[in-house]
Amino acid sequence: MAPNNDNATSLFSAVSGSARQLFLLLRCINFVSKAQVRITKEGLRFTVEESQVMQGVVFLDKALFTTYTYSPHPSNDDDDEEDAEAPPFQISLSSLLETLQIFGINDLKDRWSNRESGYDGLTSFPSRGERGAAFDNRVLGMNGICRLSYSAQGEPLCIILEEKGVTTTCELVTYEPDFQEDIPLQKDAIAQKIIMRASWLHDAINELSSTSPTRLTMVSSPTAPYFTLSSSGPLGSATVEFSKDPQLLETFHVPRRTVNTYKYSLIQGASRAMAIAAKVSIRSDQQGVLSLQFMIDVDGGGVSFVDFRFVPFIPEEGEDEDESEVGEAEGFE
Amino acid sequence: MHTLSFTLTLEGVVRVHDAVLCLAKFSEVVSLEARKDRLVLTALNSSKSAYASFSLDRNVFFEKYSFSPILTKGQNATDITESRFTCQLYNKALLSVFKGRLGDVRDKDTAVERCECYIQDQPDKTECRLIVKMVCRHGVIKTYKLTYESVEVMHALFNRNAAKNTWRIGAGTLRSFIEYFGANTEQLDISSENGRANFTSYTEKVTNGRDVLKMPLQTSITIDNLDFEDFTVQEQLHIGISVKDFKAIVTHAETLQTSVTALYNFPSRPMQLSYNEHGMQCEFTLMTIGEYRGASETPAPAVVRHASPASAANQPSRQSPAQVTSIQKPTSMPPPTETASRSFTREPQSQRTQRPSPPPPKASLDPESLFLPLDEDEDRVWGERNYDDDEDTLGWNASAKNVSELNDMRKASASSSRLEPYPAWPEDPNSRIAPTQRISDITTLFGD
Repeated sequence: MAPNNDNATSLFSAVSGSARQLFLLLRCINFVSKAQVRITKEGLRFTVEESQVMQGVVFLDKALFTTYTYSPHPSNDDDDEEDAEAPPFQISLSSLLETLQIFGINDLKDRWSNRESGYDGLTSFPSRGERGAAFDNRVLGMNGICRLSYSAQGEPLCIILEEKGVTTTCELVTYEPDFQEDIPLQKDAIAQKIIMRASWLHDAINELSSTSPTRLTMVSSPTAPYFTLSSSGPLGSATVEFSKDPQLLETFHVPRRTVNTYKYSLIQGASRAMAIAAKVSIRSDQQGVLSLQFMIDVDGGGVSFVDFRFVPFIPEEGEDEDESEVGEAEGFE
Repeated sequence: MHTLSFTLTLEGVVRVHDAVLCLAKFSEVVSLEARKDRLVLTALNSSKSAYASFSLDRNVFFEKYSFSPILTKGQNATDITESRFTCQLYNKALLSVFKGRLGDVRDKDTAVERCECYIQDQPDKTECRLIVKMVCRHGVIKTYKLTYESVEVMHALFNRNAAKNTWRIGAGTLRSFIEYFGANTEQLDISSENGRANFTSYTEKVTNGRDVLKMPLQTSITIDNLDFEDFTVQEQLHIGISVKDFKAIVTHAETLQTSVTALYNFPSRPMQLSYNEHGMQCEFTLMTIGEYRGASETPAPAVVRHASPASAANQPSRQSPAQVTSIQKPTSMPPPTETASRSFTREPQSQRTQRPSPPPPKASLDPESLFLPLDEDEDRVWGERNYDDDEDTLGWNASAKNVSELNDMRKASASSSRLEPYPAWPEDPNSRIAPTQRISDITTLFGD
């Protein structure tokens, strides 16, 4: 593998002005303990996998960082993959999240109001923007400066957080990756594509939880009822139906009726992304592989994408392994 | 087979949620009863010591309400008004269907516009379900098909005419009281003395006092009788109900911003708490504990609370406008009055036997008082009269057996912390519980 180059600068380093932002994005895929990280020129790609039937991908675009340098070593005699990408590695996602929130994540509101009016939680409500501290770091959005670096393969991922002169340095051990393949979505055989507000999907999934279901059935059809999510459990069954109202389903491409069943608890694993995302693109291919792509608004304008893939409950599950490399953050078109 | 379908207004959805939430405190199943003019949700707790019912008026909560009972042979026209559809559902299922719609009403884009419900029990359908359809904005439809059990619903009967003690007070006032009742207290003693009403919460659970932090907290709240809207209560009559039930009732009553009316006779007879607001008639029938003595013959002994002025003097008191007093006593604290259950669990046998039997109920009392005669007048909402002639299973058995059930319940909950020998029971009921029901009542009950 790539030999360590001692005199070179680190393989990767980046500085973000908002550890909170990174935290909020990465928290969306916090359903397993280890995440696979791939560093590319465009950004950082975090992938998690559950039982080989669910994957979550967060792509931290380099636009999220104030500085972003990635200098891959020239691949001399490497038999690595194309254009000298550093091999992926795994880190403990929970530790990373713990690190990112070590100074707290909702500091903007809480600490401020605490200082203004002490303990009283009721009267301190809109105290932001009052006297003093016009150039406070928090007002300037400078809180939680976070620096990530990764010097070479096998080295730890180093995270340095600074706030008010307090510096936290954290080194996360990196592990060998234990999965490589993405769950394939046949982009040329998309059976349904629906774009809607993520909060509505979130609401629907929460409604279904009342039956304590194990399976979630997703039916889309070119005729009414257009898009339904249903589940059943010991206490009864529940169905949420969406009409074709363009205010509701922004995009609705369903050439013919499709019925797929997924494991409810896995879909619920994406609920954190549903809660904070603005929109969701629901796609599935003819094999029933489901892709939920969430568009999340980022603080300083722009958007980030969090991607989930699910393998359905059908006999064809895992039958043919499509090699198609799935690009990240391809947007909604 | 009945056909029942109704459409709840938005307010109705919220009210049903509040009601189901309150019923959840009593039982894990909700009984639903549909009649021509109203829909009734009831719950009876597992020890059958508390019963709650909410009746929704069809003209207030429903955009549409249709219930057409199918007459079977032998029924005549008067039976139509009395015929009903009853079933039982899991509270959890109902609660999750009606949960948190209040938030939807305010801001969400997919707010519920109306709620359509109907019963599917046609013979040609394979599944019998209660179908709840929440129709939301933008054409989102949430459909729930809930399994139900078709059972006869039992209602607790209460004879309002026989209840001579009554008080009425704003729910908001009571709500401010229950905040002071300790989290671990179980019993609530209500009494009146010298023009002041007293609400005391206490527990009998922790007795050895080894664990300092688990000491029983007794909270007494005393208010002037003039603060009640109506107050007619026999002096020094102590009556005990469960704090948990009381809290559930008051919490719900406060959402309606109404006044709660209590009706009761004497301890070990049911107490009814009721309120009627916005087309919603809410009634709770609670079994009471306590020892009944005729007020004239045996004047009630000085109550423990007043007999210890020292504790009243040096207590760390939380004085509120409502005159709240918290007393934390170092050792096991006697309950405010010699309630039947206390003496039942702790007092030596010999002492109990020496107690004078209470005098028989006063002559003015109808011996059948709490069991509604079959030909009672029509003002009773809950008076179920066509129960296939087995009406005695519906009423409260106000004999000592119920007290023992209450004790069973309490013991079961206390058994995790402390096991105590359970006295042999019930060879001689007189030795433990002073009888409050005449033998003639019991014999009629068991159909002798």
